[in-house]
Amino acid sequence: MNQRLAKPYGSLINRDKPLKFSFEGNSYQGFLGDSIASALAANNQWLLSRSFKYHRPRGTLTMAGQDANTMIQLKSNPNALADRELISENLRVMAQNYSGSLKRDRGALLGLFSRFLPVGFYYKAFFKPRGMWEKWAPLIRKKAGLGVINQQLVPGYYDKQYKFFDVVVVGAGPTGLQAALTAAVGDCEVLLVDENPTLGGSLNYARFDAEGLRGQQSRDKLIRQVDANSNITCMTDAVCNAWFSDNWLPIIRGNRLYKVRAKQVIICTGALEQQAIFHNNDLPGVMMSSAAQRLIHLYGIRPGRAAVIVTGNNDGYANALDLVDAGVEVKAIIDLRDTPVRDAITKAVAAYGVRILIGHAVFAAQKTDNHLSGVEIRPITSMGICGPQSESIQCDLLCMAVGYTPTYQLVCQAGGQLSYDDSSAMFTLTNCPDGLQVAGSVNSHWDLDACLAEASRAAIIATNALGFTEVAVPEMIAKVGFSPNHPWPIFPHPSGKEFVDFDEDLTIGDIINATRDGYEHIQLVKRYSTCGMGPSQGRHSALAAARLVAAATNRTVAQTGVTTARPPFAPEQLGHSAGRSFYPARRSNMHYRHVEAGAQMMQAGAWYRPAYYGSTNDREACINNEVINVRNNVGLVDVSTLGGIEVRGADAGEFLNRFYTFAFLAQPVGRARYALLTNEAGVVIDDGVACRFSDNHYYVTATTGGVDRVYQSMLKWNAQWRLDIDIANVTSAYCGINIAGPKAREVLTKLCLDIDLSADAFPYMGVREGVVAGIPARVIRVGFVGELSYEIHAPQHYGEALWDALIVAGQDHGIKPFGVEAQRVLRLEKGHIIIGQDTDAMSNPMEIQMGWAISRKKPFFVGGRTITELQKKMPLRSLVGFVVNDLRAPIPHESHLVLQGDQMSGRVTSCNYSPTLGKPIGMAYVDPQSAQAGTTITIRSSGGVRVAAEVVALPFYDPKTLRQEL
Amino acid sequence: MKLLTCPLNGPRNISEFTYGGEFHPMPDQHKTDSRQWAEYVFFHDNAAGVVTEWWCHTASTFWFLAERNTTTDQVIRTFDANEVFNQRIEFSAMEDDA
Amino acid sequence: MPFGLLKYGLSSDYPAKHHFTPATELKRHYDVVIIGGGGHGTAIAYNLAKYHGITNVAILEKNYLGGGNTARNTAVIRSNYLTEAGVNFYSESVKLFNNLSNEFNYNVMMENRGQLTLAHSDAAIRSFRWRAEVNQHLGVRSELVDRQTIAELVPNLNMSEDSRFPIMAGLWHADGATARHDAVAWGYAKGACDRGVELHQLTEVEDIEITSGRVTAVKTNRGRVECNAVVQAVAGASSIVAKKAGIPLPIHCYPLQAMVTQPYKPVLTPHVSSPQVHVYVHQTSRGEFVIGGGSDPYPLYHTRATMEQRESLSAAAMELFPFLAQARLLRQWAGTTDMTPDYSPIMGLSPVENYYLDAGWGTWGFKATPICGVTMAELVATKKVPALIKPFELERFYRFEQINEAGATAASH
Repeated sequence: MNQRLAKPYGSLINRDKPLKFSFEGNSYQGFLGDSIASALAANNQWLLSRSFKYHRPRGTLTMAGQDANTMIQLKSNPNALADRELISENLRVMAQNYSGSLKRDRGALLGLFSRFLPVGFYYKAFFKPRGMWEKWAPLIRKKAGLGVINQQLVPGYYDKQYKFFDVVVVGAGPTGLQAALTAAVGDCEVLLVDENPTLGGSLNYARFDAEGLRGQQSRDKLIRQVDANSNITCMTDAVCNAWFSDNWLPIIRGNRLYKVRAKQVIICTGALEQQAIFHNNDLPGVMMSSAAQRLIHLYGIRPGRAAVIVTGNNDGYANALDLVDAGVEVKAIIDLRDTPVRDAITKAVAAYGVRILIGHAVFAAQKTDNHLSGVEIRPITSMGICGPQSESIQCDLLCMAVGYTPTYQLVCQAGGQLSYDDSSAMFTLTNCPDGLQVAGSVNSHWDLDACLAEASRAAIIATNALGFTEVAVPEMIAKVGFSPNHPWPIFPHPSGKEFVDFDEDLTIGDIINATRDGYEHIQLVKRYSTCGMGPSQGRHSALAAARLVAAATNRTVAQTGVTTARPPFAPEQLGHSAGRSFYPARRSNMHYRHVEAGAQMMQAGAWYRPAYYGSTNDREACINNEVINVRNNVGLVDVSTLGGIEVRGADAGEFLNRFYTFAFLAQPVGRARYALLTNEAGVVIDDGVACRFSDNHYYVTATTGGVDRVYQSMLKWNAQWRLDIDIANVTSAYCGINIAGPKAREVLTKLCLDIDLSADAFPYMGVREGVVAGIPARVIRVGFVGELSYEIHAPQHYGEALWDALIVAGQDHGIKPFGVEAQRVLRLEKGHIIIGQDTDAMSNPMEIQMGWAISRKKPFFVGGRTITELQKKMPLRSLVGFVVNDLRAPIPHESHLVLQGDQMSGRVTSCNYSPTLGKPIGMAYVDPQSAQAGTTITIRSSGGVRVAAEVVALPFYDPKTLRQEL
Repeated sequence: MKLLTCPLNGPRNISEFTYGGEFHPMPDQHKTDSRQWAEYVFFHDNAAGVVTEWWCHTASTFWFLAERNTTTDQVIRTFDANEVFNQRIEFSAMEDDA
Repeated sequence: MPFGLLKYGLSSDYPAKHHFTPATELKRHYDVVIIGGGGHGTAIAYNLAKYHGITNVAILEKNYLGGGNTARNTAVIRSNYLTEAGVNFYSESVKLFNNLSNEFNYNVMMENRGQLTLAHSDAAIRSFRWRAEVNQHLGVRSELVDRQTIAELVPNLNMSEDSRFPIMAGLWHADGATARHDAVAWGYAKGACDRGVELHQLTEVEDIEITSGRVTAVKTNRGRVECNAVVQAVAGASSIVAKKAGIPLPIHCYPLQAMVTQPYKPVLTPHVSSPQVHVYVHQTSRGEFVIGGGSDPYPLYHTRATMEQRESLSAAAMELFPFLAQARLLRQWAGTTDMTPDYSPIMGLSPVENYYLDAGWGTWGFKATPICGVTMAELVATKKVPALIKPFELERFYRFEQINEAGATAASH
């Protein structure tokens, strides 16, 4: 049977655009603008879901996406809310969390066992005897959870945008509309944001006068003014989901996350209607009075045929007028109050002859076919207690109008404090941060005129603070007289099932019993009972739970409090927060040359570097060949990722002296020195070479991964030392190529005409500036790989040209590129450490045989004092070189342990097969007792096989350094 | 996201900054014993309240100092380090090993 | 049928028994005062009462039971650490966790789901092999696994070679587990209170009285209490409390944020962590995805969450599990982690003779709860530092020694 009302009802739907969709396999028709819930309601389909624990039938409660009773499953969108999602042509909607069918869910049998499932029941059972929990856990996991995640989902497109406004008004009901208008003065840019499809908020569906005209009139007038004001930007269908520091607001609309910075924020988020608590208050057909009004006005749907209204305020009477106008038979108004307030609206209701029972409560609801079929009414004798006389009234709709909780979440995230007065049942929000105002029903103003006045007041505070206005701020409107919040709409029933938290199926008894078990603090109640931990995050349970806990523990509601409001306000999908991920990739200028040469690229931090050149099938052979070619001919390696820092000024040498462990003041111009860096705890954290190009100019290298930290650290120290220097991180300004091998000089001589490359003129550890292949360059003779080598640093855009020139010049000498893997073997053969591989978070210079790099002759260097302390003690370990002579043994890997008997006494830090020595070589931390050359150590290699290794003096190759000093 | 006002660059999102540790002038290494030095290296005030600390605007590598309440996260002020470090620091040679 | 629940259904009045201490006045004197009523504090009290016969104990908790980091952690239990001291310590804890529910008769819902840490680089593989070797040597189930094994362990993990940081290998820790974190504190507290320990919530220590190098009393907002010994087990408040006793600590407090989604039907069994993209993901027995990552970038004593971290965690979680795009976020929060220079705790003696430290728990505190209870209780009762925790003494920093677990913590939580 069709529940649709004729125009002018249904402000959101377009009756010219019918749409077909399905729910649980059945086909339905609705209109463009209908939500899934409204379209189903129009077709008299009210049952939408099954609850989490007891699988109780559930349907529309708020019709505003504030509850989770309408959770349905869309493709790749589980846990969607039927009263927020719109229908579209051929949309396929399924229910969630049932066994069998939505109508006949076998899971509902669990409800029969509710007596055996007290609050906190998980903690009390399922674990005896030992091992039982392991059997129960998987079963419980299967029963838990709501919707089904589509694991094949390829995420859709989500993006983000930044926006900046002077004032952001959250909520476009009457208060928000007025606040935006008052704030939009001068050049003040205002954003007005609302989660609904249109502006107007409660003006679209609530009733403010007996005639039912005021809402519409105010709405039209305010919206007309807002539309005409070019200072105001409106965003509808947009949820402001949280408040973060300094008024940083995430607003989600469609597939975009707006990150909005507001100078001033005005929160006009309104209030959330609350439920009455009685037996079976969760049945489909039992809904908030505002839900019924939304159905009528927004969607043009008659919410039922015969209605009862339970009310604790006069909004219930306004609701009655709306129902009557929509052709619903209002059988009775059950007023919880002893002495209701009379006004024009109550008089109009009385004039219709609607039956009104004062001082009565709905004690229980009855169901037929998963829907409300009647209510049991009883007189109230004292708070929460009813007399025995009862009367049944048949109805298919029960509207609840017993009060509101402010939509306080954003305000409390901002540091606002929510307090509640037990006697007046009024909330207040205090302690709002500077730059944030609240107005309207969120701040417990209920009268429409009061809200509009408060809106202006808040806006004036904002515009004054921004300097757009300089006017006196009016007094806050007093929160007079009555509160629409009934202090105790809670009626325990002998059969229980009076739901406090719909998401978690928690009843009055559960909350009380939690306190009786000793969980009295509201946070403990929450965690022990799970109250407020479900998808609606306490919107409809916080107040009731606070009231019950307060009563059970002899405190006031204010003392009891509510649990912390945390972001997000509405359950947004992770895709929105993720947006489009950006992970930068860094490439050297020679990148394509490597790719063209068949390199296997590897990652070094954000950089891509060539690991080796060749196919992955030939990995070992490629690396070995590259190593051999460097030893015998000449090779080329791209070292552009290496860090480079310019240190210039009169104090350049003094600065390096204090920053690194070695001595630099007397370093000759034209020479390089090893630069070892320790932190203040004496731990080695980086290394490089310092090249002195003039008295006042050093060029210092650092590791690829460490240079940014090294540079930051340099500047932090000099912010304190105030030396006469300038430091610049030029890593990405330079490319670097190391040409290494006995033929390196011959090759470079062809390209470099202005530097004397002979051994005497340009010795090992020399540095020169000149021109290579027409390219201005710095040339550094360093020996990382242990052969004659020149490291050429040039402005980075010359990279490819330099590479090409060297390749051409070296063709007759067998030049071939070599990659990071070969470089690692070559340096290992030379006994050079790699920071972060051969050192760890505790390595000091003494352990790694670098005592020689510590200068004794300077008054201070970073880490020096600690190193002095450490040198007073016996070292705990020693980094040594080792070889494995048994070629049948499984080659040890990095991190294989060195054992002494059954004790761990160290570990391997580097290990490779050395083509130069014809056997595996490596470095390991060992007990200092075992550090003598010739000692045999035991390494537990792959498969647990113990391998004997011989400690040898470093380097493995060319101990007299004849090759690198050619 | 929180705003932090760099003395050089003005108010920027806090993601543009690197925290640099509590502000503690280095003690005179000749006048501290081993335990005092260990406390300088490893120990922290970690105070709940207004503290002075180092910050770096990452992109411009500008180091400065801030006074911040570590309980409310309110930044009282940010200022150039030269308010505190206004002259060159010298290190004297050690006579004996400390 | 879980028979334990029968008594609830068949009795017409709820058979309530207060699990803890109904609010009472503080006594004038206790043998032991434990400052901090979280997992550690209650575990220490429980062990003192049950295994050392020391019941004249007061737990002083400034807020609600377990309301500090016990309430806020992401409940990861594992022992795949790096150092010998660390592995021995945490593996004892995992063993105790396996029997905890039956030990104190309260279900902590311990689930041995396994924990997988992902390596996206050679350096990570080296680091994981180091952990695997040390773990195996000490009897902990940990192994380096390849891509194929990873795909079998977590079939819905994104193994694409086209992602920015493709997965290269992993560290599989079969001993990894999870438990209901609040319940651990509740179970210990109940077991302690059943044996006469007093739990005083909303009781904040304002001052600590020290005479001649010994604690004699503590002053609280509810009165002054004399005592023979004090243990501080306050995690994020470690420096603040220790300062009252005149004890400096090498601790910095950083927020650690986490977030949780709505519940969904189960699709993920193990806990999966990627230090590379700074995220770990785990689906609880309620069906919610818990997502956490690295610490905040600067110290703060406030448990607020940030948008930046939510964005970063969401993007990272989707790197590993792209389908999580559809999961809806329920809540973000944070804890206050007391970080030490070497990512290892500070346990044992302090400069004050009868004042014992249980601090520096950073991001590694929840998993240590049971072993902390055992060892700290032994220390308080016997006045001798148990061998298992000796490496973690505060004094190590004065010797410039560190027990560095940096490689095994951070976002590999």
